[in-house]
Order: sequence, then C-alpha cells, then structure tokens
Amino acid sequence: MTQSIKRVVVSLDAVSETGPAIDTAARLAARWRVPLHGLFIEDEELIGFAGLPFARQVTLATGREPLTRDHIEDHFRAFAERLRRELAAAAARHGVEWSFEVTRGTLTAATDGREHDFVVAGAMTRPVGDHFRIASRSWSLVATLTRPFLLARRAWEAGGSVLALLRHHGPQSERTLDIAAQIASLCKTTLTVAHHPDIADADEFAAWVSGFVEQHSLRLRTESATMEPAALRQRIIELDCRLLVLEGGRERAQLEELRELIEPLACDILIVR
Amino acid sequence: MRRLVEELRAALPAAFERDDYRARRDVIDQQFRTRNEQPFGDLQRRAEQKGIAMLRTPTGLALAPRRDGKVLTPDMFEALPEAERERIQHDLEEVQGELEAVMERVPQWEREHREAVRELNRETTGAAIVLMMNELRKGYRDLPDVTQYLDAVERDIKENADDFLPSAPPRGGTPMPPAFEEAVAEGRFRRYQVNVIINNSGQRGAPVVYEDNPTHQTLVGRVEHIARFGTLVTDFNLLTPGALHRANGGYLVLDAQRLLTGYFGWASLKRALNAGEIRLESLEQLLSLASTVSLQPEPIPLDVKVVLLGPPLVYYLLSALDDDFKELFKIAADFDDRLERTPETTLLYARFIAGVVRREKLHPFDRSAVARAIEQASRVAGDAERLSTGLRELVDLLQEADQIAIGAGKQIVTAAEVQGAIDAQFRRGDRVYRRLQEEIGRGTIRIETDGEEIGQVNGLSVITLGGLTFGNPSRITARVRLGRGEVVDIEREVELGGPLHSKGVLILSGFLGGRFGKTRPLSLNASLVFEQSYSGVEGDSASTAELFALLSALADAPINQSFAVTGSVDQHGRIQAIGGVNEKIEGFFDVCRVTGFTGRQSVVIPASNVSHLMLRADVVAAASEDRFRIFPIETVDQGLSLLTGLPAGEPDAEGNYPAGALNQRIAARLDLFATKAAELARSGAGMEPRK
Repeated sequence: MTQSIKRVVVSLDAVSETGPAIDTAARLAARWRVPLHGLFIEDEELIGFAGLPFARQVTLATGREPLTRDHIEDHFRAFAERLRRELAAAAARHGVEWSFEVTRGTLTAATDGREHDFVVAGAMTRPVGDHFRIASRSWSLVATLTRPFLLARRAWEAGGSVLALLRHHGPQSERTLDIAAQIASLCKTTLTVAHHPDIADADEFAAWVSGFVEQHSLRLRTESATMEPAALRQRIIELDCRLLVLEGGRERAQLEELRELIEPLACDILIVR
Repeated sequence: MRRLVEELRAALPAAFERDDYRARRDVIDQQFRTRNEQPFGDLQRRAEQKGIAMLRTPTGLALAPRRDGKVLTPDMFEALPEAERERIQHDLEEVQGELEAVMERVPQWEREHREAVRELNRETTGAAIVLMMNELRKGYRDLPDVTQYLDAVERDIKENADDFLPSAPPRGGTPMPPAFEEAVAEGRFRRYQVNVIINNSGQRGAPVVYEDNPTHQTLVGRVEHIARFGTLVTDFNLLTPGALHRANGGYLVLDAQRLLTGYFGWASLKRALNAGEIRLESLEQLLSLASTVSLQPEPIPLDVKVVLLGPPLVYYLLSALDDDFKELFKIAADFDDRLERTPETTLLYARFIAGVVRREKLHPFDRSAVARAIEQASRVAGDAERLSTGLRELVDLLQEADQIAIGAGKQIVTAAEVQGAIDAQFRRGDRVYRRLQEEIGRGTIRIETDGEEIGQVNGLSVITLGGLTFGNPSRITARVRLGRGEVVDIEREVELGGPLHSKGVLILSGFLGGRFGKTRPLSLNASLVFEQSYSGVEGDSASTAELFALLSALADAPINQSFAVTGSVDQHGRIQAIGGVNEKIEGFFDVCRVTGFTGRQSVVIPASNVSHLMLRADVVAAASEDRFRIFPIETVDQGLSLLTGLPAGEPDAEGNYPAGALNQRIAARLDLFATKAAELARSGAGMEPRK
C-alpha cells in the first residue's frame, strides 16, 4: 500500500508551527525510503491584503504598525531560509534525500501536487505570545486535498498511541490501516483500530484487522468506535492518542466538527485518501 | 550533596511525569488558554460579523476585509463604492482598536500563567524533595550555618526544578553531542557541590602550618579559573585555600624575609590579621586592577597565631618602620646565636648531635667526632666559652662528615671525618686566601716575618668572602717629620678608610697628645698607611699596630718583624678586644708557614681576647711546641716593649721618663721637633701658624 507513496511533502509557510511537521515528515520519508520535499508557500492572499493602503498588523512587540508588501515579502524570504535549514537538518538526522521549493499561491493549489505525494503540514499557527493561536488554514486542506494528509502538532518524542477510525474494510480502509500500522510501528506504540458501530460483524472485522497488521511488530487493539463527539474526545484522552487516522471521504461538516473536537487536544490527524 | 543531586535527578523527573502533576498542569494551561482565547474568540466573532477576517502574519495579527470567503485585494477594494470602502475602513479601525486592547493584555496573562506554572512546579518539587532535605538536615542540626545553607538549597531547587528535568530536544538543527549535553548538565549542578577547602577532621590538636612561599595568593587563597569555550570562568568550586585557611584555629609559621619579599604577602597578612578575617580575593581585585566580574566569597573569621622567623635586624626594622607590626606581633622571642659553653650545654649539644644523627639516618658519631663538632661550634661562635646556635651549619657539617666516612668505608664517624669536613668546607672557599698566601710567598705582597724595621709592623685584618672568613696580614708603616701635630691617615685621605678606621687613628692621636703633649707642642706630622692595600680598610682593630708603628718611628726604635699585632687602643693606651682573633692568628701562622717558621714568630693580641681563642689544631700544636707564640697584652707599653725589646719606661712625678726608655726617646724626639719648629718660627722661615 505505502509503496504507492513516492514522496513526502511538507507544507511550510511563515505563520505555522512547522517543527513537528518537518520532523514527522522526515521520519516518514526515512521509513518509506522516499525523498523529502519542503514546499514553502508564500501566501498570496496575505500579500494581496498587504497591498491595501490601510493594511495594519498588531504585534506584541510594537502594537499597531503598517503592513506592506515589502514587509511581508521580507519575512517570507527570512522564514523560507530558516525552514530550508531546518528541513536540511532533519533530513540529515534521518538520512533522507531532500529538496526545497518556494512557491507563491494559495495553500490548496500549491500543496495538491503529485499523485503519489504524502503531505504533512503544521496543525497550528505559531502562537501570539505563549498561548493564543488562531486557526490554522491548513485545516482547509483536510476537506479538499486529494492526497494522504497529516496535520502535525505533537513532538515525536512526546509518545502516545495511534487511533484509527475505520468505516468498513474496503480498499480505502486497507490503505488507511496500512499507513496507521506503519506509523504505529515506527512510533513503537499501540495501534487501536475502532470500527464504525454499524459494522455487522465486529469479530470478522477484528480478524481482518489482525490479519492485516500481523506483518507489523506492534500492539493491536480493536474496539467499537463511539460517534458521539464528547465520548470520542474522552477516548482520545484515555488512549493518550498521538495520532488520529481517518479515512477520506467525509463531509465538510463532519470534518469541521472533528476539527472542533481535535483542536484543543495535542493530537495529530491523518486523513487517508 | 552529590548524592542528593543524583537522587533529585531521578526523583524530580518522576514527580513531573506523574499523572497528578500533568493533570494539574493541564488544568492550568487550559484555564489560561480559555481565558486568553475568549477575548480573541469574541473579537474574532465580532470581526466576522462585520466581514473582517483575522489573519496570522509572520510577526503578529492582521484584520482583513473579506468578501465571499476571500480577503479583498486592492483591485477588489478599489472597485467597491465609496461608501462601502469608508464603512470597511471604519469597521477595521474599530476592530483593530479592540485587537490592540486585547494584545496589550497578553503579556500580563502570560506572566500570570508562568507564575501559576512556577508555583505548581515549586509545590511539586517541594513535595518531592522534602523528605530528602529533612533527612539531610538531621545530620547537621547543631550547625545553624549548614541548616541555613540547606534551606537555601531547598529554595533554589524549588526555583530551578527545570534543571533536573530532561531538556527538550532542539527544534531543528543538529542535536548536541551526548558528552556536551552531559557537560552542560554537570555545569548546572555545580552550584550544589560542596567545596571542602579545609578538612581537619583527621588532625589531632591545633594545626601548625609552615608556608614556604608566603605571597598574597598562598596566604589568603585564590580563585582559580577554567577555560570553557574560549573564556575563563570560575565558580565557588574553584576557590582554593591559603595558608591562613589551613592554619585557622592554630599556628602559622612564616619566614619573615620571604614574607616581606613575597608578592604582597606582608600586606595581605596584616590585612587579614587586622580584620580578623580571611577575605579571599585576587590580587587584581585587591589592587582594583581588574574590573571583570568575579567571585567575592564571604570572609572567613580568622583565629590564628602567626610566628615570624627571621634575623634580629628584620625585627628591629619592622619595629621601627611599621606601626602595624608592634600591634600585631607583641611577643618577641630573641634567640641568641650563641650559648654559654658549660658542661650542661655541652651535654645538650652532644644530645642534639645524636638527635641529628638519628633523624638524618647518619652513621654513628663516636665521642671524638662529637667533641670535634662541639669544638667547631665554639669556633663558629668565635669564643672558647660559647657555643654557636647556628644549627644548620652544624647539621651540614655532620652530614658531610658522614659522607666522608661513607667514602672511606667507615661504619663510625670519628673526629678525623669531622675535621675532614671542616677542612673541606674551608677548602671549597679558600681560593682567594690561597692566592694571597701564594703571593706573599713569592714576595709579590711583602710581609716580613723576620728581622727588624723602624716604623713598620705587621697588622692583621680579616676578610669575609662567601661563607669563609680568613685572616690577612698587612704591613703597616709610619713616617714622622716636623709639622703641626697632625697624624695623617693615608687610607682616609684617599677615601679607602672607613669611619671606624679613621676613628681608631684619631684615638691614637689622642693617646699621643695625652701622653706627650702636656708639656710640649706636638710639632710633628705623621703618616700611616696599610702598604699594598688596594681596597677599603674598616674597623679599629689595627689601631694598636698603627700606634706601634708610629711610636717606633718617633723613637727611632726598630720593631721585630716576627710579630704581628691586632687590637684596638683607647686614648689612655689600653688595649681592647677585637673580632676574628682566631682567623687573624691563623692567617699570620699560615704566612709564616709560607715564609718559613723561625721559632720566633708571634702574634700580639688583646688580653681580653684570650677567652675567644679556638685555634686550629696545627696552630695549637705549634704553640705548645713553642714554635709559634701568642702574647696577650693589656697596654701599649707592654706591646711596645715586646716588639722592640726595650723597656717602655714609667714617668716620674714630673712626667719625665728614664733615660734610654722608649717613651723617653719619643719625648726627646718630640722636644726636638718642638725646638726646631720654634726656631723656624722665630726666623720667619717657619710654617704659617695654624688658624
């Protein structure tokens, strides 16, 4: 399944928390023995806004100040260079081939590149001060991206288990389960596979899962998933879940609901399409 | 403390990993996140209602007008009606003001969050370490300073619990090598180490410390530095103690001369004693030469007795020139360099020699060796009735005698080896002495040891070169002529005579005037000189010889050159003791050996020097065989009779001397000079009267 992944692309920009994304992407590229590609996106929407005569920004350091295109572009260049160095260092640490590209455009258009890409992006914007973050625009990719897409926020060393939510055991589920198992194996952690409560034969599902992941050295648990948001949230906390793996094809509304559920938790999310 | 740190490095990470800590931390974070997000969230909602999006910029937040989910571009904005543009700008202005107000509060919220986390960490750390700290305090309950220190340690650990937790891996970049990480960790915990600068626990009684090199640093200690990444750094672990620390509560013994010449040793010692505390600071700090930040350790109370060892001169100088000295060093222990030679002290000396032999692991010394060593101690003292307390020289002598015995394959050291050591010590430094003897033998330096000469006598002086003192005979001559009653000291005239020598010559002039000038003017001029002397002459020990030469010249009576003379004279003609009598006698003895013994050669010495005689064995042997004689005299007349073989003569009631006596001949000569001078004065051919 993961043989189809030919490249791990890490989506970078000047406003996201990119450290966990770069590290996770480099580890996965090493695991799958594929190149790591850094894609720095100069957000043209922000550049456009900076062109307005009344564009201002408010910072903790200086309060309100004019925002110009030059100002924004200077920052883009500085961030791109910094992230290029961080990517190079991560690639060197994990022994993977790497490349780096700077592009200008919208997030979706820039990221949804090749067919066999696996895309990783930061799940959060950098905080203003120590805590306040506004919603990351990377979430918008969850609904639109046609590639497997991982939103990373948790440091790899922080540990935690992998929880995969499957709806059935078709090809899409197999691909999702395979990637979830590979990541759980890479993290040396437990993989919990939760099936949709509507699945007719839970035992059969468990046997299928068990047979499917037996090639991976990991601890496996199967259970019936709860669809009620608060209960799911509680379960994620109980499992100290580092990664929630979902099959693609969900409705935008469902994903928005999921976002509200996941955002307060230090949990990565992977959508497999 | 080392064990405590090791335990904390395990216990604190465990405490911070526990669920209860993480839960409390999550609650705090959640509370603050909610508190922070609410104003931002409210603002964001209000903005969205007005069609304004909140954007994260690389360095802050921006508020952008939006239409149909997209941020307006300049073109889109320009395409809007004027009223709409104005409304958008008005709304943006309003929301931006609100955003600014919220942002202004962010630092305060963060401070509160950090303080809440810090307080939680303090509580968690306190709970984790309380048992360990109490256990540690138990052992030092009766040491309030230590318990205070432990309280401070506990507070410090609570404030710096992060130091004990695993450090977060660096974001990006190359991770630090493990050895470097470990070094950094070790650096963090150095402040909990205890630098035991003095440990007297294994010592019985008060410490007694001798500091060989008393300088500022060796006395008060120093702050050492280590090079780290190209800079020199230090901490309290690099404080090293000085001699004052080691001797605190006891005694510090110092060599006064080394202390005074050691770099700022004396000043630092006085400072510490005056203040009653040891202030460990570098010389640069003390002299305000360096402005770099360094340690300033708390002064340590000082209670020490300092013993300064040194020659009396140093004591006298310090007493005279340094006011602090008398305040700080109130008790003087003045050790004489000689002690009386009695049977008891001789026995003690012998015991001391035995002690040295044992301590230095020398071969046994038999009684003859001990006796010879004691004799040498008298010789060094320059007095047959005294013993030198120069024990270092004695130890050197014993060690050298032992080496000679070893060289000769002897198991027991005898007088012969001690004598061999004495001779060897003399031989090693006698090059100049031998050269002088040699030149006398060759006649280059003229010394008569036989025959008779008018106005010439052998005087004796001593020369000290290095550690060796030896006697040196000189020919002293006198010439007289008609004049104004002056005795000219040629040595003084050419500035080769020292003040004591000049004083001696003036004294003999006084004697001459006192004896012969009462009834006649002394109308003579006399000149005195040390022949073949090319360096300075000092001391009055030749004044007797000079007087004899002068009287011989006046009396026109020859002096027996077999004699050599030493001694000083007073204005009444009494002969007084001089120093170095043994060396002077031996010096003339050796000259006689060179020129040939006649059996008549003798040395005239002051009678008051007889007790100082500690002559070499060969001199003593020659004297006992009557080949060489020593004549002690008390008056000028005794010496004059001895040297000329003529009676000096005693004056009668009218002051006249018997005919043929030396004093009569001198008086007659002086009368002749006076008469002649008077005649010359009357004829007008005389000299100008003295003004």
